Amino acid sequence: MTRAPVPYLLLVLALGLAALYLFPLYWMYVTSLKGGSEIFASPPTFWPRDPDPSIYPETWARRDMSVYLWNSFVIGSGVTALTVLLGTGCAYVLARYRSAWIDVALFVILMLQVLPASVMITPIYVGFNQLGLLDYPRFAVILATAAKAMPFYIVLVRATFMNVPRELEEAALVDGNSRWGAFFFIVLPLARNGILVLAILTFMQAFGEYIYSKSIITTPAYQPASVGLSGFLGPNSTDWNGIMAYAAIYVTPIVAIFVLLQRRIVAGLTSGALK
Amino acid sequence: MTRNLRILLGAASAIAIAGAAAAQEDVTITVWSIDGDDRPGPSDTFSAEFSEMDNGITVDYRVVPFDEIVNETLRAYATGNAPDIVSLDNPDFALFSSRGAFLDITDMVAESDVIDQDAYFEGPLNSVMWDGRLYGVGKYTDTIGLFYNADMLEEAGIEPPQTWAEFEEAARALADPEAGVYGATLSARGNEEGTFQFLPVIQMSGGSYENVNTEGAREWLTMVKGMIDDGIMSQDVLSLGQWDSTGTFNNGNAAMAISGPWEIDRMVEDAEFDWGVTLLPTFEEGAERSSALGGFNLGIMSTTEHPEEAFEVLEYFVSQDDRLFPEFGYLPTRGDVELPESGVPLKDAALTLFQEQLQYAQPRGPHPDWQQISKAIYDAEQAALTGQMTPDEALSQAQSTIDGILN
Amino acid sequence: MRRILSSLTDGKGFDLLLVGITLIFLILLAGLPLVYNVLLSFQEVDMFNLAAFSRPWAGLDNYREIVSQPEFGLVMRNTGIFVFGSIAGQFAFGFALAIFFMAKFPFASTIRGLFLVSWVMPGLVVGAIWGWILAGDFGVLNAVLQGLGIIDETMFWKSDPALSIWAVTMANIWLGLAFNMMLLSVGLAAIPRDLYEAAELDGANGFQRFTTITVPMMRSTIGAVLALGLIYTLQQFDLFPAITEGGPANSSNVAQYWAWQWSFRIFDFAKGATVSVMMLAFVLIASAVYVWSTRAEVRG
Repeated sequence: MTRAPVPYLLLVLALGLAALYLFPLYWMYVTSLKGGSEIFASPPTFWPRDPDPSIYPETWARRDMSVYLWNSFVIGSGVTALTVLLGTGCAYVLARYRSAWIDVALFVILMLQVLPASVMITPIYVGFNQLGLLDYPRFAVILATAAKAMPFYIVLVRATFMNVPRELEEAALVDGNSRWGAFFFIVLPLARNGILVLAILTFMQAFGEYIYSKSIITTPAYQPASVGLSGFLGPNSTDWNGIMAYAAIYVTPIVAIFVLLQRRIVAGLTSGALK
Repeated sequence: MTRNLRILLGAASAIAIAGAAAAQEDVTITVWSIDGDDRPGPSDTFSAEFSEMDNGITVDYRVVPFDEIVNETLRAYATGNAPDIVSLDNPDFALFSSRGAFLDITDMVAESDVIDQDAYFEGPLNSVMWDGRLYGVGKYTDTIGLFYNADMLEEAGIEPPQTWAEFEEAARALADPEAGVYGATLSARGNEEGTFQFLPVIQMSGGSYENVNTEGAREWLTMVKGMIDDGIMSQDVLSLGQWDSTGTFNNGNAAMAISGPWEIDRMVEDAEFDWGVTLLPTFEEGAERSSALGGFNLGIMSTTEHPEEAFEVLEYFVSQDDRLFPEFGYLPTRGDVELPESGVPLKDAALTLFQEQLQYAQPRGPHPDWQQISKAIYDAEQAALTGQMTPDEALSQAQSTIDGILN
Repeated sequence: MRRILSSLTDGKGFDLLLVGITLIFLILLAGLPLVYNVLLSFQEVDMFNLAAFSRPWAGLDNYREIVSQPEFGLVMRNTGIFVFGSIAGQFAFGFALAIFFMAKFPFASTIRGLFLVSWVMPGLVVGAIWGWILAGDFGVLNAVLQGLGIIDETMFWKSDPALSIWAVTMANIWLGLAFNMMLLSVGLAAIPRDLYEAAELDGANGFQRFTTITVPMMRSTIGAVLALGLIYTLQQFDLFPAITEGGPANSSNVAQYWAWQWSFRIFDFAKGATVSVMMLAFVLIASAVYVWSTRAEVRG
């Protein structure tokens, strides 16, 4: 009687679950390769009758996707930088103390999330217009999106800081470090993993931002890939193959980066650096 | 004559004021439309051409996605960033013209050599009128008819249906659930597309958007509901747009489909059967006809700083109307433009039919609160077709909502 | 002056500075828009005064009209189903998977990482894909279920008023599952192993260990997951236009989509703001749950 097969049974089960879960991703790729009316076939075909991979280079060139993806990258990076810059210190303070004021601050930060972006956009647009920020559309989108990403980041990074032993910080203070010194040289390095992981996740979310970009950025040269996607929906026609091919091109690099980095992300998240 | 004089006077006074100033700077006219995002369309092409002419006017063109153009224009107008010229879907036009957000161009058109108000079809013309004044021009138009799979009809020995009763009969005869073939498909989607296809039914039964609870509309809803219940029509007509529902027709999964001329090119390419189009059925043979009026209009925003120059751009767009069909596949909104033959027999036959159908096309509205009225109409259609309400209950509820908007 | 400086480097000033900058940023970019929307809901708005702050006062008229809409009750019910269905589904499946992946087997953490893919997909793309999967006649879900013999007839996920809200909820569970699973995994990993071993020695069975160790130890994680889940679910918008557009006949319409329809389909901005202000109540609950859960935190 040996327990050896159990882990392999679990592995098979895990692979089965993953395949089930990732089926929509598969469906995206398959649909993009089908012909214009084949996608409406009933029953659907599980493998394209006549797969046509030339749709990818076509879509790439026709939609000028390198520009769109570059803008997505710029916006994603900007949002991540701003969020990490402003959110980390705030999360640290909120983790350090335990008082009614901290509760109020946490409550306010979450409450400011009440409205969906679709409702926030009108006042933000009006305000940015007054300030002249609409002339710097990508920067304006970064500001607005960072405000949206901030609470998520603060709540989770705060949990990371909760895990940094307080004694270490106090010892540093006793050794003559200033609060700044203790924060930068003791606390931050210990929470590095969690911060890195959350920064990556913030980036990936911001990479797909849509609602602010579509209203604020009017020049196609500055629009991110999510806005480019909506151009496929016409008044009377929808180029579904194009949408799926575009989506595939759009998602594949994020998924690829993610699969490459995922060991670190998962390790960073679960090693107890984050609670 | 008067116009030339005015330009002359304007130029003279400009020189007088500017004194020894350098050559007059180019005027920039911004144009917004949905064209040119995916493939070249009329507005982007004509804008670029006009810009290249050496006439002191530059056109700055921006593509706005179809779903967003009204929102973007509203927001831009409210914040003082409105374009000079914008192109809107015809039912949305009155939202702006009724509030004076579009420039009243009645007098300019009267003096124009290029734009002739009388040449326009009645439907498109009505959609740019408000209170007897003209606020824009039709850009291109479309309408709906009944596509049928000629092979299937021939096999069953059925003629293309001319009345709704024949339509139901044919659909029931042609449906083959075993083979995954529905008798007919259409779009009863919960958005403007639903109203687009349902309002003609109300109109041909003697109603209008102001008076929706007609006997014919109730009958029609009962008929369609019956077809859905019996599997003659897919229940997904409630969520599919016209393009997607016609996609199932192209694939041989439906024998008939209600849709418009924008389908023709894809159908020529994809459909592996003989097909045809006929006029939208009526309630009785020879009874009143109606159809939907689609397509876009062009208007000059009233906030423009250069109305003269903007009008010149508009005139140029209109002067190129004869290129709409051969280059872009759109039907002009005027009767005095010849459509050249494409050489594809199926396509030419379909276009002739749609041109005939256009005579019966009626605009949605015009009413500034059109979208509210439209929501009442498509909500009623959906409530009746899902069986949540009887057709009478649904249409009475829509009627009372509409009465509240109209009064 | 020096006192202020030294307070900035060493005392309360340091903390206030770090929190203050962020809060000011958030109040400017999220607080003001919130106030604008609350004001809007009490005013009469049209395209001419959209950009202004002073508008004709409407009092509670907008609220009265919203409540008297025939679809109001349906939208509220759907919002409830969507929010609680999504959270329950995401949380239950997420927790189950998190526990499953705590088991030791080859590639456990790699495979768990693959589940996070749904998190990095833009909502717009996810909506489009699920729209296709859920289609009645040409949708793959029906084909699979029919192939397995689970259903006989075509299920019209998007067009049957009894199913439509569940169809969107299903897609949203898929979308949010990764987020829940990962955060819960993190919480599980932080529980010391020896607690379980001790309980096992005391003869506690699996269920008892779960209720007496796992759940209490994870109170703060669960609080954060549920609160963030509620907020994210209420913000979930992209799936609706792509899958059902709130239809048929509003049977899958929820508050956030309805608010958008009022503002951007019907162009009645005041009504849109009114609906979104009503959603405040939901987030109030979420925030309270979260703050409550943080009281159980022990700093390591």
